[in-house]
Amino acid sequence: MAESSSPGMKREDPDRNSKMSAVVVVHGGAWAIPDQLAEASVDGVKAAACEGSSVLKRGGSALDAVEAAVRALEDNPAFNAGHGATLNADGEVELDAIIMDGRTLASGAVSSVKNIANPVSLARAVMEKTAHVMLTSRGANLFAESIGVVTVPPDTLLTEYEKKEWEKHKTYVTGVDEDFNTQWAHDTVGAVAVDRAGNVACATSTGGIRNKMVGRVGDSPVIGAGGYADNLSGAVSCTGHGESILKVTLARLILSHVERGKSVADSSQLSLQYMADRVRGAGGSIVVSPSGQWAATFTTDRMAWAAVDQDVLCSLPAPRGQWAIRRLLT
Amino acid sequence: MTLEQTEPGMQEIKPASFMSLIATLKPVSTSRLSTFPSQLIDMLPVVVVHGGAGHIPKERSELSTSGVTSAVRAGYAVLRGGGSSMDAVVEAVTYLENNPAFNAGCGSVLNVKGDVEMDAFVMEGKTLGSGAVSAVRNIANPIQLARLVMDKTSHLCLTAEGAKQFARSMGVPEVPQESLITEYSRMRWRKNLAPDANPVECQMGKMGTVGAVAVDSQGNVACATSTGGILNKMEGRVGDTPCIGCGGYADNMVGAVSTTGHGEAIMKVVLAKHILYQMEQGQSVEAASDLGLACMKFRAAGLGGVITVDPQGHWAARFSSRQMAWAAAQKDTLHYGLYEGENFTQSIDVQH
Repeated sequence: MAESSSPGMKREDPDRNSKMSAVVVVHGGAWAIPDQLAEASVDGVKAAACEGSSVLKRGGSALDAVEAAVRALEDNPAFNAGHGATLNADGEVELDAIIMDGRTLASGAVSSVKNIANPVSLARAVMEKTAHVMLTSRGANLFAESIGVVTVPPDTLLTEYEKKEWEKHKTYVTGVDEDFNTQWAHDTVGAVAVDRAGNVACATSTGGIRNKMVGRVGDSPVIGAGGYADNLSGAVSCTGHGESILKVTLARLILSHVERGKSVADSSQLSLQYMADRVRGAGGSIVVSPSGQWAATFTTDRMAWAAVDQDVLCSLPAPRGQWAIRRLLT
Repeated sequence: MTLEQTEPGMQEIKPASFMSLIATLKPVSTSRLSTFPSQLIDMLPVVVVHGGAGHIPKERSELSTSGVTSAVRAGYAVLRGGGSSMDAVVEAVTYLENNPAFNAGCGSVLNVKGDVEMDAFVMEGKTLGSGAVSAVRNIANPIQLARLVMDKTSHLCLTAEGAKQFARSMGVPEVPQESLITEYSRMRWRKNLAPDANPVECQMGKMGTVGAVAVDSQGNVACATSTGGILNKMEGRVGDTPCIGCGGYADNMVGAVSTTGHGEAIMKVVLAKHILYQMEQGQSVEAASDLGLACMKFRAAGLGGVITVDPQGHWAARFSSRQMAWAAAQKDTLHYGLYEGENFTQSIDVQH
């Protein structure tokens, strides 16, 4: 099929092609991050990007790197995923996650799973150990049990901060109906990576929207919305207002622009702008191309993100020297 | 765009895309289209339905054909009565869910534990609004529940127990699981419990995800897809159907698609959205559908089928599997087929 194999060849910035570099980019959610959380968020994404990068440096695959980075974010209570996730209308944690391998288009996802500390790793197990792509709810928990993934007590994932916030907001019956760009929104984490072989991968994990209905599934575990990875075009992880991201299948939309020859930065910009215009949704995305181009873009007030762009020609293990950290305020 | 516009006596010989050129040049036809200038008749409204791609056993093919034609009649009646494309696709899919010959609602395949868990999805092209349910149990018409998710919540997808709770809160009656299970589905479940069974292969015998796409006279497009999933699937398995862009997509600027076939492969290429991207690039509904199916075969080694409409009323029913039961209604004419190249037509008012 000409149309599906050719796009990957149209790479921007030809001088990147000669020196394949390994890159990992992570995000900790696009929303109006309050000042008291901003520092923890930036520290968290830095540490996670470092985690992913060290996997790549050891020769690990892009898939290993995004899993490691997202696990670090899930374990960090500053983020709405794994430990620190938001509570649903019943005061319970229900988690969604996806992982995708750009080599084979294989992916795995879990939705509305409970009592799992690292949903991204369970998603990877769905990809590698089942004939399916997505498991939901109790079925996902039964699968976790069957492969020996430890179930943690519900309180393990709950933070004091979240308990307070949930109490504060549970009176908003229609909370999730309101415009997305409010202070209380709290979001998803994700990572994208390209390894030295040019393989790309993505992973996204979330606790969803605070006060969501029981069983609500957002964009994160849905292939093409919360994430997508294809060695012919690139890998994307999205964050923001889940229902809007779903409506425009944001991850796939971004890569369709890349396939038509746009840069990863322009593709992200165009797609987020389209989401704002068409369905009035705000959000953010991180993207890498197989040649190592990357972008972190958002239309929310803030998005905590970090990238480690480790050039193969500059393999000095400079632990802090290679950081490319910026925080952008739109 | 189709030849019928210029030569009213011929029906649905589709413009040649690289793959469909040969395939579509052998339509078996019982055409009763008049020789009056049908190009003057408006292309809208139109509704197309499918009853799943696969190889349908001979003894069941008659059931499939009569099922999709009566579903398309029901959808078309809604459109002719002034209903929206969303009303029409939900009506058509409700018919298919209620028909035990299809793998959706009553007649759904059973999961490995012998239970029915269903997925459904609706989307309307004007606002990109959509609703979905996944792994829901004890509901006769998941497609109507998906529409309620769209209309009554601020979410797009509810899963499993949460979807059931929502159904309860909306007053949707719970039905006993037994009422959704047929002898045929139980027999196939039992057969595939044997350790050497190959449920995926067997599934091809009656893939049977159902779906509909429509354009109403205002030019609004909509899609609906509903399924019991894969035979002997794991508990909680969610396929392509409720995933937006995979099992279906609808956008007034481009068109609407409902897909069927090997769910995991459909997901890999985000098939419905892929086809609409091709149409945005100027491909016809047929060519875009064929390109999408070819991409899925090439990149994900999967077979399937799609129904596609654009806002002008052009439509296509295309598949890479051996068969797909499909039917369409436009200009008071019923079209239907099962094997490649078939396009039987008759007046919509003549009962099949």
